[in-house]
Amino acid sequence: MSDFIFCTVQYDSGDWDSAPLVPANLIDSIARYTSISVAPTGVTVPLGSTELFKYPLAYLTGHLPVRFSELERRNLREYCDRGGMLFVDDHNHDIDGVFHKSAVEEITRAVGSLKELPNTHALYSAFFKFDDGPPATTHELNGWGDNLVHKHLLAVMRGDRIAVLYSSKDYSSEWGYHPDNKRFLSVDNTKFGVNIVVYALTG
Amino acid sequence: MTTLERVERVRRTLRSAAIGAAVLRGVATALALLLLAATVDAFVAIPAGARRIVPLLAAAAAIVVFARRWRRSGVRSDAASAALWIEARFPSLRYALVTAVDPRYEGRVPEIEHAAAQVEFEPAVTKAVRRALTGPVVGVAVFALLLLLLPSGAVARVIAPAAGDALSRARAGSRVNPLAAIVVRVSPPAYAGLRDESLDNPASVRALVGSSITIEGVAGDGQVVATQGTEAAAPGDVHTSSVTSGDRWHLALVMPATPTAVRLRAASHERLLLLEPAPDSAPVVLLTLPARDSILRTAAGQIRLAATASDDYGLASGAFELIVSSGSGENFTFKSRTLGAVTFRSRTGELAATLSLDSIGLQPGDMLHLRAVVRDRNNVSGPGVGTSDTRTLRIARSDEYDSVAVDPAPPPEAEKNALSQRMLLMMAQALEKKRTKISRAQLVSESRVIAVDQTRLRKRVGEIVFTRLGENSGEEGDAADKRLDQPVNADSVLAAADRLANAPAGTALEGNEDETPLIATNRPLLEAYNAMWSASGELEVGEPGKAIPFMKKALDALQAARSAEQIFLRGKTRAVVVDIDRVRLQGKDKGSASARTPRRPADPARDQRIARFDAALALVRTTPSAAVDSLLLLRLDLLDRDAGAARAIETAANALRSGQDATNALIRARRALAAVPSAPSALTAWGSPP
Repeated sequence: MSDFIFCTVQYDSGDWDSAPLVPANLIDSIARYTSISVAPTGVTVPLGSTELFKYPLAYLTGHLPVRFSELERRNLREYCDRGGMLFVDDHNHDIDGVFHKSAVEEITRAVGSLKELPNTHALYSAFFKFDDGPPATTHELNGWGDNLVHKHLLAVMRGDRIAVLYSSKDYSSEWGYHPDNKRFLSVDNTKFGVNIVVYALTG
Repeated sequence: MTTLERVERVRRTLRSAAIGAAVLRGVATALALLLLAATVDAFVAIPAGARRIVPLLAAAAAIVVFARRWRRSGVRSDAASAALWIEARFPSLRYALVTAVDPRYEGRVPEIEHAAAQVEFEPAVTKAVRRALTGPVVGVAVFALLLLLLPSGAVARVIAPAAGDALSRARAGSRVNPLAAIVVRVSPPAYAGLRDESLDNPASVRALVGSSITIEGVAGDGQVVATQGTEAAAPGDVHTSSVTSGDRWHLALVMPATPTAVRLRAASHERLLLLEPAPDSAPVVLLTLPARDSILRTAAGQIRLAATASDDYGLASGAFELIVSSGSGENFTFKSRTLGAVTFRSRTGELAATLSLDSIGLQPGDMLHLRAVVRDRNNVSGPGVGTSDTRTLRIARSDEYDSVAVDPAPPPEAEKNALSQRMLLMMAQALEKKRTKISRAQLVSESRVIAVDQTRLRKRVGEIVFTRLGENSGEEGDAADKRLDQPVNADSVLAAADRLANAPAGTALEGNEDETPLIATNRPLLEAYNAMWSASGELEVGEPGKAIPFMKKALDALQAARSAEQIFLRGKTRAVVVDIDRVRLQGKDKGSASARTPRRPADPARDQRIARFDAALALVRTTPSAAVDSLLLLRLDLLDRDAGAARAIETAANALRSGQDATNALIRARRALAAVPSAPSALTAWGSPP
């Protein structure tokens, strides 16, 4: 069985590489908590490339407006139809922000409209159990961005499977630190990332 | 009696009856509430706080009922209403009374008077009054009787609740646990001026040392014996037996100087009570005069002495204490005396005196030590003595005159650079303003003083610019005496900066097209530098008016530099390769750069206390009273070690004893016991973890 490789999506517009430490941090968490065979580094794959289809989970983030090309849009649609899962995180944590507005618009055009994911969804118990749904981030609790604590994540479903998971919670900032610094946290805040990976691999 | 007079009389009667009925109904309501509360309290003890509200509730209910009845009786407030009330009961009058009390027909229609005289309506009024009052009177009587039938203590607990009335619910008897309910009455020592205090079923008693403590309970199964000491069989324990009078037992103790557990025993019953002495702090004394130590050339003249003092319970007396030490080497003699003795009658006070140095007979080389000493009123475990700081006055020897002299010190280095450009500008403006009032020579002199400071500030700005440009600061020293654009003009400096920054000309990121961010950032400072140059030149020749525009320009440039856009370069993040084997603890340990030190051993005493706490917890479900006693003994041990944990345990024990949910209190207590972080006594050096 081949290793799980964490895939970061590169898109033409915006700053797709705004959270360069998140992949390593999640890879560390997967190695730390699970027995999943995981590659020590992630890869970056253009959204318009068919290389994307090799990876069951793709991570997309940024601060700036997102404008997919027609190729990217078509590729993303096919990726979701083939069973891939795209995890999109708003690095601004602002529902009135440019990333949120443009990314939601593009996802809607490419894959379908985002709906609230119930907090009882299997995602929240795929590995660790999150009884209250998605864990809050320090950015939410500090009142940054839109000053909201988002109760739900959004998702585009393909049947009963999540095709696009959308977060306004700014996990990209929350998880954006070197994995060696995880030892300074009393509670590891990347555990929800493990759930996302495990769900993508098993869901 | 005329008809009008008869109706008026009926009106007064009905009105009085209505008021009486309203009052009686209000009273009945209040009595009913008190009866209800007293009955409930007889079965389930109502907390003292709730009982204090009951009389108020009863009074409020009585007022509300009275007010409602009073409003409803308002229909008989005038004669016409009374007449209508009678007419309703005697239709044969055919409105004769209503017409008779009408002022328009009063005395004008004899037939009406005649018709009214034929009807005897007074008996009906009497009957109605009797009927209106009977119900409320019966109600009041019944409720009052029931209240009287209740035990007097039960009623008193509701009507006049007071601390220490816990015993009023208890019943004496040979099978009664005499320790089930106790009241502790505390009489503080007289010097403290505190009031006596009563406590219902306390787990611990906190009072001043020497307070007389009387424990009271209801007589029952066996005589109560108190044993003071944490362990039952410890030698030196004090045993005290209770004295029974009537159906109560009493036991007198004195608050000891150290925390002590009192174990109360009666037959097979046992109960623990902690005696926790409250501290009586020593007075706090502050010597305000003389304010500092001094060296005097001669022992002559007078010195004012002043001090303030305060105490938590009361000051008794105070005085200044003087000690004179004479001699040198190994031969010293001391003599002491007091001065300005004063008696206090309050918690705060002041001491004041004047010391005549001549009267002490100080010699050169003698040292005079001064301090204020104040005693409090504690005549039980004290008195507490508070002293102020000591001031020392030394008389200089004739051969050490130089050591007495104090040469003025230069201003600190930090203040040398305190003058800012704004300050210099203000000085120049002030000088220009008074230009016509001073001589030319003075103008030039003062202007040059400002010029010196302006030059110094310019050099500091130059250092910043040259450091940013990558030059050594020493090179600025050569350039400091040269204007940068003449012969080395600003453009040449910027070009040099450009080269140093290794940025090709023309690749502008912001600002002017031919500017790199480095140049753009430094340009305001260079402008300020050159403006300062011009300003100092004008100031040097005594022309502050001409210097002011340059100084303003320099100030604006400095402000622009302060508010300039800051650029933070973000480099490319190195790709992080996760060492999967290491994360999964399967790889080799490659060593660590930082020193590893073994963890400090756990505090065995703390572990022992935690074990005792856990053992007490295990008893909660089976024998809660034993659990409470264990917690109280643990608290006793913690009183002088960990006050926070002791408080938390007391809260938990009280909750357990009162039958409340103690879960949260126990959690807090456990946490307080276990998780007290220990802080290092001092910061350690970088890189060496404590």
